[in-house]
Amino acid sequence: MELLQYSLRKIATGIPLVIGVTLISFLLMVYFGPDKTYELVGKNPTAEQIAEVRAELGYDQPVAVRYLDYLRELVTLDLGFSDSTGERVSAILARTIPISAAVALPGFILGNLFGVLLGLFAAFYRGVWPDKFIMAAAAIGMSISFLIVIIAFQILLSSSYGLNLFPVRGWDVHSIGDYVLYVTVPTLATVFVALGYNTRFYRSVIVEETTRDYVRTARAFGMPAGPLYYKLILKNCMIPIITRIMFSIPFVVISGSLLIESYFGIPGVGKVTYDAIVTGDQPILKAVVALTAVLLVAVQLLTDIMYRWVDPRVALK
Amino acid sequence: MTEPLLRVRDLAVEFDTEQGVVRAVDGVSFDIYPEETVGLVGESGCGKTVTGLSLLGLIPQPPGRIAGGSIEFGGRDLVQTSEDEMREIRGSDISMIFQEPMTALNPVFTIGTQMVDVLRLHKPLSAAQARREAIDMLGHVGIPAPARRIEEYPHQLSGGQRQRVMIAMALSCGPKLLVADEPTTALDVTTQAQVLEQINKLQEEFRMAVILVTHDLGVVAETCRRAMVMYCGKIVETAPIEELFARPRHPYTMGLLNSIPRIHEQRPERLPVIPGRVPDLLHLPPGCRFAARCERVLDRCRAEQPELSGRDSAAACFNPEPA
Ligand SMILES: Nc1ncnc2c1ncn2[C@@H]1O[C@H](COP(=O)(O)OP(=O)(O)OP(=O)(O)O)[C@@H](O)[C@H]1O
Ligand code: SF4
Ligand SMILES: [Mg+2]
Repeated sequence: MELLQYSLRKIATGIPLVIGVTLISFLLMVYFGPDKTYELVGKNPTAEQIAEVRAELGYDQPVAVRYLDYLRELVTLDLGFSDSTGERVSAILARTIPISAAVALPGFILGNLFGVLLGLFAAFYRGVWPDKFIMAAAAIGMSISFLIVIIAFQILLSSSYGLNLFPVRGWDVHSIGDYVLYVTVPTLATVFVALGYNTRFYRSVIVEETTRDYVRTARAFGMPAGPLYYKLILKNCMIPIITRIMFSIPFVVISGSLLIESYFGIPGVGKVTYDAIVTGDQPILKAVVALTAVLLVAVQLLTDIMYRWVDPRVALK
Repeated sequence: MTEPLLRVRDLAVEFDTEQGVVRAVDGVSFDIYPEETVGLVGESGCGKTVTGLSLLGLIPQPPGRIAGGSIEFGGRDLVQTSEDEMREIRGSDISMIFQEPMTALNPVFTIGTQMVDVLRLHKPLSAAQARREAIDMLGHVGIPAPARRIEEYPHQLSGGQRQRVMIAMALSCGPKLLVADEPTTALDVTTQAQVLEQINKLQEEFRMAVILVTHDLGVVAETCRRAMVMYCGKIVETAPIEELFARPRHPYTMGLLNSIPRIHEQRPERLPVIPGRVPDLLHLPPGCRFAARCERVLDRCRAEQPELSGRDSAAACFNPEPA
């Protein structure tokens, strides 16, 4: 009951956020984004042709009217048609989002899971060689750019110069086996890049937590290191861990998928968005922006509920 | 007389700090007999907590280490005992409770979970049995409605109740020695008295020895049979309680006694300070560490370190107060 009330309240306060994000993105898109007109009219257009295309795209309307149209589309969930392919935007999203999730999730989950485990391990051995080794590896991992990592993994695992075990590009998935084949290299690249940052962050959180009084108490009562770290300390670290994981979701969705999908030629929502930015396909961009804003609100709500779940001191207010 | 339960000899504890090595406990020796309550008194920073922690092998390492001495307990030297064996001893043979009941309990687990964990670490109990024992124990230390309280989290309890929970946890495995590090300092005066009374009662009931660490001589007077006064990492005087209060020998003890507030006066947070400052552990004088603040100082005091001559009643001083 408390939870339901809280959720409704939180969703209500999320509406201004969605409006703000969509408005700003919309203005940026209209004034600074690419103009689709010239792509559609062809060479040497007449003034009438241009006007006709602009009317078709809705560019001739005042900005305020166009934004209100945008909001109406969102409320009615009628997102219109792609300017480039004419396909229904909702159909495009329904097709591409599951692919993106399938590509991004394993790397995201494993990157955080291993990050926490390595962080625990390094924190336990802080100051001695296992810690120093892990931290040095993390620093190296962090200093290599994502692109280089992707290319390196592609060469090593997917090309005839390397092991040639996996397809380099594409997404031709009809079975679990196909899925593993296509998802492995992107996942490895994501984990490689995320692990350095994650391990470093989680280690510092855990080390900080080991200085708390309750840790000394637990030790004074004979608690062995295993349960001390994996149970007592870890649960106390859950708030910063959840915060980091939840708030990296929008970044993973936007930047991670964009890069991964374009470099692996995966037809996910990131690829679609990337193409839409390049070609100025506004209906798609508007839908993606709104979806991201809604995701942001949902993530915040979920984060608060998870806080409550791991820490009894947190009240949902 | 009976054999001592605990025999500490020349205990020295060092910490590496940015400025150099600090010897927080420097050649401390004392005995604790079964079932007695002994006060360990001294100003902030004199090494009381470090002494207590070293008895359980809990000196944070790094930066700290036991640099010398021995701690004899139950027929072995705890300084030489392996970490695995120490873990068996902690919470079962020797328990320690801490000053900050607010933070000393784990905030995200219920009282019950924490107590059950401790019980099952040391006793072969099922979860249900451990829970029953925990509830029993909570009732024992004066927590009302223990079966309900056990489901609660530390933040739902008052400071006094939290400290009682700590005591219940500490006693749940029947320790022979309880090190209570300022168990009541963070509590208000009334609660403080109640908790001390509870510790005294339980001490008799469980037949254990208690080392009561405090900077409050008033607390020592109410609860202890004997007291050890620490200054700058050393024990400067030890005596039975009546003797210590009636005829203090060490000028530092004298100073502490003089600064105890009279009855009906408000009890201050900390003892009013004796004139002068505690020397920095990094720059200790070659002679008596109290020399700079001492009214009875002799030339000899600045050159030589006075030693504690006995175990039961002694003062480390070249020119003690007349008996
Ligand atoms: N982790 C540590 N690192 C470095 N030095 C330490 C550490 N713990 C204790 N010390 C040193 O040991 C000295 C004694 O500390 P201790 O905590 O035993 O004092 P105390 O008598 O318990 O004082 P208080 O009444 O404030 O609790 C301190 O002054 C400090 O210099
Ligand atoms: S030894 Fe000297 S300086 Fe130290 S307490 Fe005794 S009289 Fe004072
Ligand atoms: Mg202390």
